[in-house]
Amino acid sequence: MKKRITSALLASAVILSVAGCGGNTTPASTTAAPAATDAAATEAAATEAAATEAAAADTEAAAPAAADEGDTFNIYAWNEEFKGFFEKYMPGYDASAQTLDGVKVVWTINPSDDGVYQDKLDQALQANASASAADKVDMFLAEADYILKYTDSDYTMDIANLGVNQVDTEYQYTVSAASDSNGKIKGVSFQCCPSALIYRRSIAKDVLGTDDPAEVQAQLDSWDKYEAVAKTAKDKGYYIQSSFADNYRVFSNNADSAWVTGGQLTIPAVVDQWTEQMKSFYDNGYILDTLPGVWDDGKTAEMFATGKTMCFFGPAWYFNFCMGNAQDPDKGCYGDWAICEGPMAHFWGGTWMLAATGTDNGSLVAKVMKAFTEDETVCENLIKNEGQFTNNKTVNEKFANDPDFGNAFLGNQNDTAVFCGMTDNIKFQNNTIYDQLCNEGYQDYIKQYISGAVDKDTALQNFYGYINEKYPAVQTP
Amino acid sequence: MSSTTNAPVKHKSISYAGWGYFFIAPFVIVYVLCSLIPLLSTFYNSLFENYMDGLKQVGPNFIGLDNFVTLFTPRADGRLEILNYTGNTMIMWIMGAVPQIVFALLLAVIFTSERMKIKGQGFFKTVIYMPNLIMASAFAMLFFQIFSSVGPINQIIMSGGGSAYLFFDNEWSARSIIAFINFLMWFGNTTILLMAGIMGIDQSLFEAASIDGANSTQVFFKITIPLLMPIIIYVVITALIGGLQMFDVPQIITAGRGAPNNTTKTLVMALNSYIGTSKNYGMAGAVSFILFVVTGILSFIVFRSTEPKKEGKKK
Repeated sequence: MKKRITSALLASAVILSVAGCGGNTTPASTTAAPAATDAAATEAAATEAAATEAAAADTEAAAPAAADEGDTFNIYAWNEEFKGFFEKYMPGYDASAQTLDGVKVVWTINPSDDGVYQDKLDQALQANASASAADKVDMFLAEADYILKYTDSDYTMDIANLGVNQVDTEYQYTVSAASDSNGKIKGVSFQCCPSALIYRRSIAKDVLGTDDPAEVQAQLDSWDKYEAVAKTAKDKGYYIQSSFADNYRVFSNNADSAWVTGGQLTIPAVVDQWTEQMKSFYDNGYILDTLPGVWDDGKTAEMFATGKTMCFFGPAWYFNFCMGNAQDPDKGCYGDWAICEGPMAHFWGGTWMLAATGTDNGSLVAKVMKAFTEDETVCENLIKNEGQFTNNKTVNEKFANDPDFGNAFLGNQNDTAVFCGMTDNIKFQNNTIYDQLCNEGYQDYIKQYISGAVDKDTALQNFYGYINEKYPAVQTP
Repeated sequence: MSSTTNAPVKHKSISYAGWGYFFIAPFVIVYVLCSLIPLLSTFYNSLFENYMDGLKQVGPNFIGLDNFVTLFTPRADGRLEILNYTGNTMIMWIMGAVPQIVFALLLAVIFTSERMKIKGQGFFKTVIYMPNLIMASAFAMLFFQIFSSVGPINQIIMSGGGSAYLFFDNEWSARSIIAFINFLMWFGNTTILLMAGIMGIDQSLFEAASIDGANSTQVFFKITIPLLMPIIIYVVITALIGGLQMFDVPQIITAGRGAPNNTTKTLVMALNSYIGTSKNYGMAGAVSFILFVVTGILSFIVFRSTEPKKEGKKK
């Protein structure tokens, strides 16, 4: 009897919660438009900003947005990084009420692994036209690996229609990455992501006899030199890099061909070169024999002071956001790091903000985009407090030329100056909509060849099988 | 007019079939709506090319049995992945289900034994059922952490002077861990079912056996097992169906990759792979239909091999 009562209770709880959700959304969808205008009219704090925004949008474009601003600003993202910056620095954001100019800001965050973020985002975008005002995606974030899929579709809108135009201070590659095949710009990036070789100063001193970035760079500026140093490092009891996948991007960014051309999958020559390099690194014991992935605990444990790894690869966001272990007050090694360009110029990731077609918060989207690219106060805060390398040349160069500026984590090295010198070499080329899973899948499946578990052909066949399952439109060899 | 004269005759053979249909109607309606129609529509879907290429919809175009042909085409190195996935599923199921049923049977016999009269049965029953209440995904995460290259097991190995063993990079250690999780999750459930079955057996049979001098092994094989057969068949078939649908544990432990070398990839993981990114309803439908056929065949075999051979004896 007890069981029946509990199950009845559970069942009713489920029904109630479902009904509760329905109750929330249905009235919202019917009343959203008037509620929004009410909110804008009544909330004193919001009126000024809303009015100016509305006026701006009215004059600049025929967008339906600003006039009837929705009461929920939905942002899709794959991690908390941008959310953190937004909540700290976005002008007009009220942290206690979680509102921007009186409009509620709602974040939907799904992990990027195995394409989960894209899958969830795609569903939401496809439903955007019919979604209720409270559920409409207004803005979403995208990474270099798959931005093309969204820019080259009708699910994103020309931001000129929202009153956002390209400004000279943005880096050209971030603009071309956000443009569709007709040259229409669909979004902006708040970061510029040249990627550096990040090394432990103390280990570099032991292995190379110096920790000066210029001298270290001179000893690591080609793959031949890198391989030679790997051997020296091993002889001294260190690892040149911890994960086999750490320098994957350095190769793949410099590919001469795309992953998929004319519907046919081909493995870029540089990716194969990387595979063979890592096979020999593994066989020679230059990297961790547990073969952790880029994000695995086995690798990040190497960032502690006890770690034996000399080099990591990554842009500003990597050492600020993803090297928490190195920044650990007890076990970390804060200040024992420095950066240089490394064997080849490359970039990694980047966070573009794209405007979703059907947004009912167009003016807010525009406001956020402008704030994170044009607002110098915001950009300065990103550099000073967050160690970011922003997408604003003027601000970046100001810090690069400031002799007193330095990043304490990097032993007061001026990382902004280093990155400024690297931006010209970034190539955003040979991209396809399939890149994320090609890159992830290739690393995962080829790992079994590197470890010797299977031969190369089997590893490749497993990878092709994976691509066939994920992308039916792509032909594999 | 003649019908009125025949009316009394009809009354003689009054049929209650109408009521029978009325009472089974709820089941039939639910079955048709929730099982039969989805089953047929899955097969129907498998005849179409229907997927997303990025954000563009391809199809649906009718392509006959092409999806099945694709599934049964070996890849360049001669391996037929659909067979591989089916094999993986079966192997991991057997590795988990055999110990699960043996162990559960043993516990059920011990707990119901009149001679032992174990105290605190309620406590033990709760404890052995407990793992079933934990989400499979949580279990998988836990074991992934325990056996990871930097996890506690490897720390013990390394503190003893060994080098880290990569449990998830070896076919058999990975499969064993997955099978063990499934075993751990389900043996409690099976124990409870079998206990109920044993308690349903007439106690006087056990008494009669012991008066006749049967030892406990004889009682177990000559009385408990034969009379428990219907419950055992039920347990095996439900475990089989559950096992063929194995998904959450290997999916999470191998991050959907079925590493190493696709040896832990199950049929439902393949299905998930098709349906996830590209919404490939055609291929996913084909995999589901194969899963249905495999389940049907295996259930039939279990039924046939365990049912008492009455007719054979008569002949």
